[in-house]
Formats: sequence, C-alpha cells, structure tokens
Amino acid sequence: MADPIDSALDLLRRLNPKDVKRNVDSLISLNPDLTEDLLESVDIPLSVKKCSKTKRDFLCCDYNRDGDSWRSPWSNEFEPPVDEGEGVTPSDRIRKMEVKANEAFDVYRELYFEGGISSVYLWDMDDGFAGCVLLKKSVSPSPKSSGSWDSIHVFDAQDRARTAHYKLTSTVILSLGTDSEALGGLDLSGNMVRQIEQDLVVDDDSSHVANIGKMVEDMELKMRNLLQEVYFGKAKDVVGDLRSMDLRKKRGRRFSLTEFLGIPPLSQTNRDRATQREMISSMGR
Amino acid sequence: MSRTAALSSFIESTPPGELADVTKAIKSILDDSSVASELAPAFEKYNESQFTTTKLPGGSGEVLVSEYNRLGDGRYYDVESQSSFEFDHASGKASGVQSYVLDSGLGDLVKSLVKSLGTHASEHYPKSSLGVYPIEDDSQLAIVTVASKYSPSNFWNGRWRSSYIFNPSSGSLTGSIKVDVHYYEDGNVRLLTNKDVSLSVGANAGATEIVRQIANAEKKYQEDLNKAFGSLSEGAFKSLRRQLPITRQKIEWEKVASYRLGQDIGGGRGR
Repeated sequence: MADPIDSALDLLRRLNPKDVKRNVDSLISLNPDLTEDLLESVDIPLSVKKCSKTKRDFLCCDYNRDGDSWRSPWSNEFEPPVDEGEGVTPSDRIRKMEVKANEAFDVYRELYFEGGISSVYLWDMDDGFAGCVLLKKSVSPSPKSSGSWDSIHVFDAQDRARTAHYKLTSTVILSLGTDSEALGGLDLSGNMVRQIEQDLVVDDDSSHVANIGKMVEDMELKMRNLLQEVYFGKAKDVVGDLRSMDLRKKRGRRFSLTEFLGIPPLSQTNRDRATQREMISSMGR
Repeated sequence: MSRTAALSSFIESTPPGELADVTKAIKSILDDSSVASELAPAFEKYNESQFTTTKLPGGSGEVLVSEYNRLGDGRYYDVESQSSFEFDHASGKASGVQSYVLDSGLGDLVKSLVKSLGTHASEHYPKSSLGVYPIEDDSQLAIVTVASKYSPSNFWNGRWRSSYIFNPSSGSLTGSIKVDVHYYEDGNVRLLTNKDVSLSVGANAGATEIVRQIANAEKKYQEDLNKAFGSLSEGAFKSLRRQLPITRQKIEWEKVASYRLGQDIGGGRGR
C-alpha cells in the first residue's frame, strides 16, 4: 500500500479545494501521525492577525507560528505574546533583511494588488537562509460575486561565492464565486503550484531582497497567466466537451498550457508519456 | 466530526470519475482495507446523486443509477433496455441482469420521452446516458440526463447532470442542472455549479414539447455559463491582481526602497 502521507496529499488534490482546511483537520484526526507532514506541506488560505504594536494586519502561516502564537513581521513580536525566551526570531542580520523585504513587498503589493495584505518571513539556515513571501487579497466587485487570492512563495537561498542558489516553490490559491437568480450558483476555486531554481549574483544582503523580488514577480506573472488559462479557458473548454452548443461536430482543438506559458509543470514527464500513449492509441483506432 | 462522517464527506466531494482513487487513498491513510463496508451508505448516496453510469453485461450503452430507478435490494432498472440489474456501489459494476417491463399508466409518455430525449442528447452530448422514470405513485415523471468525460492522462474530468420532475396534471417541469469539472495538474481546480430550473410546459404536454423546453433551458444555461466565465475573468479576477503595475513596467527592485507610496508607484494614479 502507498505511503499514507502520499495518499493524503493525493486525496487533497482530488477533493473540493474549497474545503482544504476542513479536510486537513479531518485527516489529522483520522491519522494523527500525519499532523506534522500535512501542516508543513499543505497550503491553506492565509489567516490574518493584527499587530498590536503597529496596528497593521499581517498574515499567518506555519513559518511564523509558535504554538498558538504568530510573529508579526512589523514588530518582530508574537501575537498573542509568548513566554519570555520562547518563540524563535531571526538573527540580527536576517531580521534586517526581513525588514527590507517587507518594505519592498509592501510596494509590490500596492503596485500589483492595489490593496490586500503582504508579509515576509525569513529564517536562518546553516548555509544561507530561507523564507516565505505571503500575499492576500479579497474582493467583492458586486454583491453577487466574490473572489480571493492567496500567494504563498516559499524559498531558500544557499550562499555561494558571489552568487546564491535560490529555490522557489509558489502556490496560488484562487477562489471565485457568483450567485444570482439568472445563473444560479457557481464556484470556481483551487490552487496551483510551481517550482523554479535560479543562480543569481549577490553583492550584499540587499541583492538578496532584489533577487527574491524578481523571482517572485516573474513567478506570479506566469502563474496569473496559468490561472487565467485554467480557470477561464480550460474549465470552459471542458464544459464545451461535455455539452456542445451547436449540433455535434468533430472538435479538433488540443490544449497545451505548458507550451503556451513556457513554464514546465512538475509532472511534465508523466504528461508527455500520457500524451504519447493517447496519440498512439488514437492512431490505432 | 466522527470518523464515518469525515470519510462520508470525502466521498461526497469526490470529483467525477475519481471514486476509485479516493477510496484507495482512504484505505491507505487509515491502513485499513476493510473500510468499504463502513463507506457503503456514502457510496450509495454518491452514485445515486451523481447518476453514476455502468455498462450492463452484454449491453451496448451505459445505464445510470439514481434514487428514481431504485428497486431496492441494490437493484435498479433501465427503461430503454427493459431490464433491471444489481449494482455494486463500491466497484461500480452491474450484474444479475433480468428482464423488467415497466408497469405504469404513464408508460406511453415514458417511451416517447426516452426517444425524444435520446435524440436531443445525441445532438448535444457526445457521450451521455438518460432515464425517464415514473415516481410518486405513478403521478409524476423524473427525467434525468448525465454526460461525463474523463481524461485522467490530461488531469481533468467533468460531468454535466440535469434532472427534472414533470407533473402531468399541473404541467410543471422543475429541476436543476449541475456542472462539475476537476483539473488537477500540479494543483487542484474545481468548478461546481448549480442552476435551478422551473418551467411550465402545460398540463398533459407531449414528449416533444417537454424535451424542446428542456433543450432550450440547457442551451440558455450553457450560454449564461460561458458569459459568467468572461465576467469573472474581467471582474473579480482582474480586480484581485493586476497583470502589470499601472506603469506597465516591472518593478526595479534595486530602486524599490526609493519608491514612494502614492507617487512613483501607481504612476500618478492621483491625476
């Protein structure tokens, strides 16, 4: 039988993504051994807390959590406070970078999201540092439609001579819905994950912030295009495959997100093989 | 939530065509391959509400199961092939096919509806199954269509379901259309829709008129749905995150510390 954690992740990839938090909680109660792995590897919509010192909102994830408290990127203090000596905070050097990164991504947030909340958390590693960039925005452009976007970018940076090796894993959770008399209920929700590795030049610590900024900016642009294709292109195409608007006729269009976006999915190889198999079997018909 | 309630909720939200995968994952997570009996009620509910289809041994097309054609003891019937069959809710397999002749005062209407609906379905659904069943002591008819398409090698599956209740004495036709699409290549994206339909086709309406109205409602719904994709893309999606900043330029990260909120950024949004 497969490894239970692999099965749990496979299950979460199938069940309604809108219920991911509830499903993770259920899985933990069904098999408590999976608790740590699930909390580490499953992205759920970000929750918001207010920093009591600065009165600014910040985002919570497993990386700024200590028990039931979360560290504010604005004050470097935990909400609610932890006991004296408890709660891991970054070293002075990393915290300085974290402050710069939060300022930079605050600008990024305003430019791209024109609202919402951003938080960056960094932590020390033996051969460099690691961190996450979080962004969240919710809208309701009309009383009958709503949407929310959560980005979770987790990266590590390994120091090398004059360069650093960055590895970035990005998840975007996008949820859209409408409910009206004419259309009825519609919910279009989900998440997509992509990974990239890059070597970039580093002069000093401010280069790190710029390098991570560029990587996240490029990644989000690609992921936004990907989401646009999947949510509004692919989903609509599948509906058209189920029911054809006009009297039925042969349909030729084949869809390749990967070529279109130049961003290879993790499962590229599997997919290539599957496509090959499908082509071979369709030629045999 | 109890263990059975949690597991049942997993089954309930299983995407089209993925019940076997979900069941396999549950067995592995619990390290318990005998969980199927605990899940039996959830499987039955899922298959009946999803109008799960199955191939009859020796039959050509696929027949569906629903609460409307349930005979009890795990058996269901199909009008077109005039047969009943036993359905295994865990494996999705049919067996024990027997002849079944419908005994209904609405029998003629059922037959002509099956024919008209079949013509309509073949025109618009590349692959579908349908059924028309007398319910409520032979006083009303349930009219069901399901069209599924599975492409797991391309990481997507989808289903269109529609079901209506026709009341011959009042002439009302009420029901719903539901669409379920799952896309899961390096992610998990789900489209779930539900549209209630309420029409008046006239008392003692014939099959042609009933199917014409169903066809109109389904066509209208697909048009509305296509429009909704457009308005969500142009509305909520656009207002969540811009493709580029208003300056149409990517950020100069080396200079980001010198960006001043409200001036450099936003490209003079205040003008």
